[in-house]
Amino acid sequence: MEKIELQAVEETLYKEVLPNGLTVYILPKKEYSKTYATYTTKYGSIDRMFTPLHAKEPIVVPDGIAHFLEHKMFEKEEGDIFHTFSQQGASVNAYTSFTRTAYLFSATSNVEKNMTTLLDFVQAPYFTEETVEKEKGIIAQEIMMYDDSPDWRIYFGAVENMYRKHPVRIDIAGTVESIQEITKDHLYTCYETFYHPSNMLLFVVGAVDVEPMMQLIRNNQGARELTNEPNVERFIEEEDLTVQVKERTIAMDVFKPKVNVGFKLPAGQLKGQAFLKRELIYELGLDLLFGTTTPFYEKAYDEGLIDESFGYDVTLESTFAFATISTDTFEAERFREVVRETFERRNELLEAEALERLIKRKIGLFIRSLNSPEFIANQFTNYAFHDTMLFDHVEVYRSITLEDVKEGLEWFVQSNNSTVMQIVPMEKEA
Amino acid sequence: MFKHYPISSGVDLYIRPTQQFKTVTILMQWDREFDEISAAHRAVLSNVLQDSNERYPTYAKYKNKLDELYGSTLITDVSKRENKHRFLLFSETVHERFVRSENHFAEWLTFLAETIQRPNVKDGKFDEATVRREKRSIVERIQSIYDDKDRYAYRQLIQMMRPDDYVAKSRLGTEELVQAVTPASLVEQYEAMLKEDKLTIYVVGDIDEQLIIDTFRPIIQQREYEEIPTYAPTVSTCVEIQEKEETNAIRQGKLNIGYSTPITLHDERFAAMQVANGILGGFAHSKLFQNVREKESMAYTISSSYISQYGLLTISGGIDWNEKDKVIRLINEQIAMMQSGDISELELEQTKALLANSIRSALDTVRGQMVLFDQYKEDYANFSAQALIKRWNAVTKEEVIAAIQTLKKEAIFLLKGEREDGED
Repeated sequence: MEKIELQAVEETLYKEVLPNGLTVYILPKKEYSKTYATYTTKYGSIDRMFTPLHAKEPIVVPDGIAHFLEHKMFEKEEGDIFHTFSQQGASVNAYTSFTRTAYLFSATSNVEKNMTTLLDFVQAPYFTEETVEKEKGIIAQEIMMYDDSPDWRIYFGAVENMYRKHPVRIDIAGTVESIQEITKDHLYTCYETFYHPSNMLLFVVGAVDVEPMMQLIRNNQGARELTNEPNVERFIEEEDLTVQVKERTIAMDVFKPKVNVGFKLPAGQLKGQAFLKRELIYELGLDLLFGTTTPFYEKAYDEGLIDESFGYDVTLESTFAFATISTDTFEAERFREVVRETFERRNELLEAEALERLIKRKIGLFIRSLNSPEFIANQFTNYAFHDTMLFDHVEVYRSITLEDVKEGLEWFVQSNNSTVMQIVPMEKEA
Repeated sequence: MFKHYPISSGVDLYIRPTQQFKTVTILMQWDREFDEISAAHRAVLSNVLQDSNERYPTYAKYKNKLDELYGSTLITDVSKRENKHRFLLFSETVHERFVRSENHFAEWLTFLAETIQRPNVKDGKFDEATVRREKRSIVERIQSIYDDKDRYAYRQLIQMMRPDDYVAKSRLGTEELVQAVTPASLVEQYEAMLKEDKLTIYVVGDIDEQLIIDTFRPIIQQREYEEIPTYAPTVSTCVEIQEKEETNAIRQGKLNIGYSTPITLHDERFAAMQVANGILGGFAHSKLFQNVREKESMAYTISSSYISQYGLLTISGGIDWNEKDKVIRLINEQIAMMQSGDISELELEQTKALLANSIRSALDTVRGQMVLFDQYKEDYANFSAQALIKRWNAVTKEEVIAAIQTLKKEAIFLLKGEREDGED
C-alpha cells in the first residue's frame, strides 16, 4: 500500500493496485461521521463499439446499455439491493455519464458490511429476459422526463448539433426505440468486458480505518477468480471540428426562450497533467471573458440581455471536447452577436491582474470543495481515468499564464466549429 | 453542538469551534412575521446586497475583493419558515492556513461587516440602476416557476389546498409587489430589518471567537425586537376532495396528491410521522417506490414529502397520465395498508436506519450543522444526531399507524400532456 502525503491540502491518500487489476484509494477524513465509497467503471454511453473480453472482432451494441446496466445491477435473484443497503443503514445510488458508470454508498454505521455489499453486488450480475423487459418501461419514462426538461434539451441539443458520428451525440439513456433492442446477452457481454476490475476504481473517503478496510477489500477481491486484463479496445474516433448543424430551433412549453451557443473543441487524447491543464485553461478563458465581473456580464445583465440562468460550461474527454454558453433571453440574436464580439475582442479584454485574481478565486473554491467527501471521490475518479490527480489542481492553476489562456481561446474563433441551439415558446391556441 | 452566546434581546450567537473543515463559515438570519410587502422587498434586497457596498460600489469591484480573498463567498437569500419571513446572509472563506496572505480572517470579517452596515446607499436610496435590474431578476424568477413542471405542479396543489395560508405564499412576494419596490422603500425595509428582526448568527470553523464577537458587536446593538406570534396551521373544513387537471406540452404527466395532518414538527408525534413518511414514500425501500414504481412500472419518480411546518403531506409522481386512475388506486392502497397495520418489522427497521444515516450525513456538512441545529433547537434542549436517533428508535408500529391515520386527503392535481395515448 502506497502512502501519499498531500501537504498543500493537508490530506493523506492511500493507494493499492490489486493482483486482479483493481485500483483502490482510501482517504481518511477526521471527525466525519460518514463513509462514502464509489466503485466506478470506465464505461459510459459513448462505448457502443468495442472488442468484447477474449473476443477477436469488435461489436456494436444498442444505444443506452451502459445506463440500462446501471439500473439492472440493483436487481438480484434474492431481491433488490436497495433493501440490503437500507437495512444496513446506508443510502446507495448510481449514475451513468458519457464516459463512466459509478455505484456509490454513503453510511454512518455498518461500514464493513456495506462495503462488502457494494463490492459484491457490482460483482454479481443477474439479468433475465423478464427483468430486462420490465426495466424498459421504467427507463422509457426516464427518457421522456428528460425530453420534457427544457434545461436538458437546450444543453443536449447543442451536442447533437455539433457531432455527426461521435457517440456523444446519443442521449446517455439511449432512445425509447433503441432500448427495445437490448437483450440480456448484450448486458452480460458489456458487463464482462467493462466491469472487469482492471477497468475499475474503488475510492473510499471519510470515517475509515485504513488498514482494516484495505484488508477487507484485498480479501474480497482475492476470492474472485480473475486476473489482470489489458485495456479494453474501444473504437471511437475524434471528429474534426466542423459542426454538423450550425443552427436549430425547437418549440417547447416554456415562458421565456432559451439559447445555447456551442463550440466544438480539440480533445487530442490528452492525459496526465496536460489534460488537467487544458481543461482549466478553457475554463479560465471563459471566466475571463464571460464571468460575473467582466464588462460583458455587467452590460448584458444590466440590459436584461441575460438573466440569472446565464452560464457556461466546458467538457473535456479523450475523444471529444466542447464548451457551451447559454441563457434564457428574449433577444437570442443580440446575445449571439455579443458573444461573438466578446471573443473577437479577447486580446484587448485579457489582463494579467484579472487572471491572477481569478486563480486565487479558483484555488479557494477548490480547497472549499475538499470539505465534501462526494466531491473528492467522484472527481478523483474522473481525473484518475484521465491519468491525472485531482489534488494537482492548486499546482496546475499556479502554472497557467495569460499566454496559455490566449492560446486556448483561439479555438473559439474558428470558422466552422460553433453551433446555436434555441428553444422558443410554443404557439398557444386562442 | 454549538456554544450559545445570548447577546441581547432578539440576538443570539452560536459558535461551533472545529477543525473538521478547511473553511470558516458564517450564517446570519433575520426573522420577522411574514407579510407579502416585506417579502417582496427583502427578495429584491437579497440580490441588491450581493451586488455592491459603499466601499466597493460596483459589482466588479465588490466581487474582485471577494476573489482577492481567495474566492470567499457572500450570498444573501430569502426563505420562509412557518409564519416567518427570513433574510439570510451566508459567507464562507478558506482557512487562513491554506492561503498566502496575512490577516486573511480579519479582512474577510471586515468585508462582511461593511456589507451589512455600510451598504451602497446615497441620500437614503439604493442605487437606482441596481434596484431596477434586480427587481427584474426577481420577477423573472417568479415567472420561471412555470417552466419547471415539478415545482409548478406542486405549487398548483398547494394553491388548491391552502390558498390563504402562509404555505401558499411565495418567499419572493408577488410580481406586483416586487414592481412596487423603490430605491427608497428598500432602504426603509432594510433599516427596519436591522432594527426590528430577530437575529441569529451561526459560526462553524477554527477561528478565534473574540474576533467574531468584536466584528459583529456594532451590528447587534440597539434592537427593538418584538416576539413573533406562534404559528398554527390552517385546518380545512372542506369535506370533498378537490380535483383539478391542466394540460401542458409535456410527455410525462405530473401527479400530485395533498393530505393534511394535525401533526407538525412541534407535536410530540412528530418523530412517529417522520418514520411513517419514510415508510410510505421517503426512501427507495418505501411502499410507494417499491409497489408503484418497481412492481408495477407505473412511475419513474414517486415519493412522499412531509411538510412538517404546515401540517401537510404530498405524494408526487412522474407518470403516464393515461394511467392516472390506476396510479391513484395504487397510492390509496399503500396508505390503506399502513392504516390497517400492514407494516413489517423490516420496513420499520430500514426506515429508522436510513433516517439515522441521513441525519448523521447531513451533520457532516457545515450547512447541515447550521440548518438542522436551527430547525431542532426549539424542541430539543441539547440537539445532537444521537438525540434524534434515540427518538426515532423509540417509535412503535402503533405510533406509526396512528400517525398515518391522521392523514386526510384533500386535493389531487394532474399536469398532463396533449396526446391521449402518450406515444409519439
